[in-house]
Amino acid sequence: MAAGATATSFSEGTLLCAREITKSFGGLTAVKAVSFEVHEGDIKAIIGPNGAGKTTLYDLLTGIYRPDSGAIYFGGKDIVGLPPHRITAMGIARTFQTVRLFPEMTVAENVMVGMHHRTRAGFTTCALKLPLSRREEAWMKEEALATLDIVGLEMQGDSLAGSLPFGQQRLLELARALATKPRLLLLDEPASGLNAYETRELGDIIYRVRDMGITVVLVEHDMGLVMRVSEKVLVLDYGETIAEGTPEEIRSDPRVIEAYLGSEVD
Amino acid sequence: MRHGRREMGEDAAAKGPRARAIEAFNLPLFLKRNALLIAFSAFIMVMPAWASPLSKPLGIPIILTMRLVGVYAIVAVGLNLLMGYAGQVSLGHGAFFGIGAYTSALLTARAGLPVWVGIPCAVLVALIFGVLLAPVLRLKGHYLAMATLAMGIVIFVFMREMTWLTGGNDGVRNIPDLALPFLKVTTTQGEFYYVWVIAIVALALCSNLVNSRVGRAMRALHQSEVAAEAMGVPVSSMKKRTFVLSAALGGLAGALFAHLQGFIDPNQFSILLSISLVTMVVIGGMESVWGSVFGAGLITFLPKLVEALPRWLGDVPDWLEKYSNYEGMVLGVIIMLTMVFMPSGITKGLVDLVRNRRSPFVNPFRRKAVD
Repeated sequence: MAAGATATSFSEGTLLCAREITKSFGGLTAVKAVSFEVHEGDIKAIIGPNGAGKTTLYDLLTGIYRPDSGAIYFGGKDIVGLPPHRITAMGIARTFQTVRLFPEMTVAENVMVGMHHRTRAGFTTCALKLPLSRREEAWMKEEALATLDIVGLEMQGDSLAGSLPFGQQRLLELARALATKPRLLLLDEPASGLNAYETRELGDIIYRVRDMGITVVLVEHDMGLVMRVSEKVLVLDYGETIAEGTPEEIRSDPRVIEAYLGSEVD
Repeated sequence: MRHGRREMGEDAAAKGPRARAIEAFNLPLFLKRNALLIAFSAFIMVMPAWASPLSKPLGIPIILTMRLVGVYAIVAVGLNLLMGYAGQVSLGHGAFFGIGAYTSALLTARAGLPVWVGIPCAVLVALIFGVLLAPVLRLKGHYLAMATLAMGIVIFVFMREMTWLTGGNDGVRNIPDLALPFLKVTTTQGEFYYVWVIAIVALALCSNLVNSRVGRAMRALHQSEVAAEAMGVPVSSMKKRTFVLSAALGGLAGALFAHLQGFIDPNQFSILLSISLVTMVVIGGMESVWGSVFGAGLITFLPKLVEALPRWLGDVPDWLEKYSNYEGMVLGVIIMLTMVFMPSGITKGLVDLVRNRRSPFVNPFRRKAVD
C-alpha cells in the first residue's frame, strides 16, 4: 500500500515521477539525485551535453539498471526493481540511441515481437497451432501493419529489418515500441542520423503519437526538433538537473546557455 | 496482457466473418502451408519400397541407417531451437540423449516396464534434468559454451562411474525392441516407421513453434537480448523453456536410440556425440528445422558411405579404411569450413540461392567496410 499512499501526493495527471534517483558506476555518478515528473499527454524533452546521463536515466526508467537510491513511480506504482519486460508490459516503451532492431527478422516480425506481452499463446499452444495461437497470429499481422502505417512503413512489411535504410530503421524502432501499446514512449535521440526532411517527418510522427494518447519523452540533441515539438524541457549536466521549464524559459536560462546552448543560441 | 485479450475480442467481433474464416479448415491452404511437411512425409512413407532393393548393390544399409537419421533429427531439431533460433550454444547435448537412453533402457531391461512406458519416462527425466541445469543459461557466449561442455562431461562420467545403476563400461544389454502397447516392432522396416512417425510429429510441432509468437521471441532474443527484453519478452524464462524443450527432445531421441540398438554403453554418449549434434545443426543450417534433418542425414550417412567405399572402388587406401578413428577430426573440419564459407548452413544457403538469388558462400578474406 506504500505506493498507493504516495500516489495521493502526486499532482493530478502525473504519469511518471522520478524522485532523487541516483546511479553510479564505480567512481562516476552518472545520474545524481534527479527528480522530475511527466504528465499525461506531455511531450517532454531531456537535453544535455554528451555524457550528461540521459541514456543512463532511460536505462533506470526501463529497468535495465536499478537505481542506487531514489524512487520511480509509473501510474502511481513503484517500478524500481521490476525486470524490463514487466515495465514494458506496464506501459513504458523505448527506442535506443544506437538502433537495436532484430536485423534478421522482417519489418513486420520486428513489430510483432513488440506485441509479445499483449498475446499469450505459450509453447504448447503454438506448437499445436491451437485456435488461440492462430487467432492471435492473424490479429498480430493486422495490428502490425496498422502500427507500421503510423510511421509510414506499411509497404516494407516483408523486407528484412537490417536491409532498410538508416532513417527507416529508426522509424521501425519507433513502430516496434508503439506495438507494445505504451502509455509512455521514451525516445533516445530519434533524430540522430536523420536528414532534415526525415527529422521534420519525425516531428509530425511524434505529434501523431501524442494524439493517440501516448505521452512522449525524448532525449535529443537536435535543438530544432526539441524546440518544435516539446512542451517542457529538462536539462541535465553531469548527471544533475540544471534547469526545467518551457522551451522559451530554457532558451534564456543563463545556466543552460553556459552549460550547453552557449554556442548554438546567440 | 489484459489489454491484449480485450482488444482481440473487439477485433474478432468487428471482423467477424474474417476471423471465423481463419478458424475454418481450408484444405488447399493447409496443403500449401504444409507442402514441405507433406512432401517429406510422403518421401519417408515410400522410402522402404525403393531403398531396400538399393541397399545391397550400394553396400549401404539405407533403411537401417535412416532409423538413426530419424533419431538424430529429433535431437538435432531440439538443439537447433536452442542454438539456431534462441542463440544459446550447448556443447553438451549428448548428455540429455544419454540420460534418455539410460532411463528407458534401465526401466525396460532392468525394471521390466513396457517400452511404451519407458520412452515417456525418458522424456520426463531428461526434462527434469533440463530444468535442473537451466540456470547455466545465465552465462553467455563462450562461458555458456564452456559450462555446457562441462555439463556433458560430468554426466558422461556419471554414466561410466555409477556402476550400480548404469553398469559402467559394461553398459546395459538386452534392451527390448521398440513396441506399441499391443504390438512388438521387430522388423527393420517397422522400426523405421516407428521412429519416423515420432520424428515427423516432432518436426511438425517444432516448425509450428518457430513460426509463432514463441519462435519470434526466441529469434528476437538471439539478435538483441536488450531489445527483446525491452520489448516485453521475458528473456530468461524464454531461454530456460527452450533449453528444457530441447533437453526433452534429446531424451526422446536417446530412448529411441537405446531400443533400436539393444545395447548401450557410456562411450556412445561422449563428447563426440555432442560435437556431432552441433555439426548436424551447423551444417544443416542454424534457424532451420528442416536443415537439422538434412544435417542429421548427412552426418549419419557419412561413415556408412566411407565404409561402403571399398565395395565400389575395390581397394581403398589404409587411412580411408580407418575412418572411424578420426571421425571427430573430420566433423571438426566440416564445422570449420561451414562456419567460414557458408555460415548459414547448407539448407538455408540453398533457400537463399533459390529464393533470394543470393549466393550462400561468403568470402571470409574480403575486407569489410565498417563493421
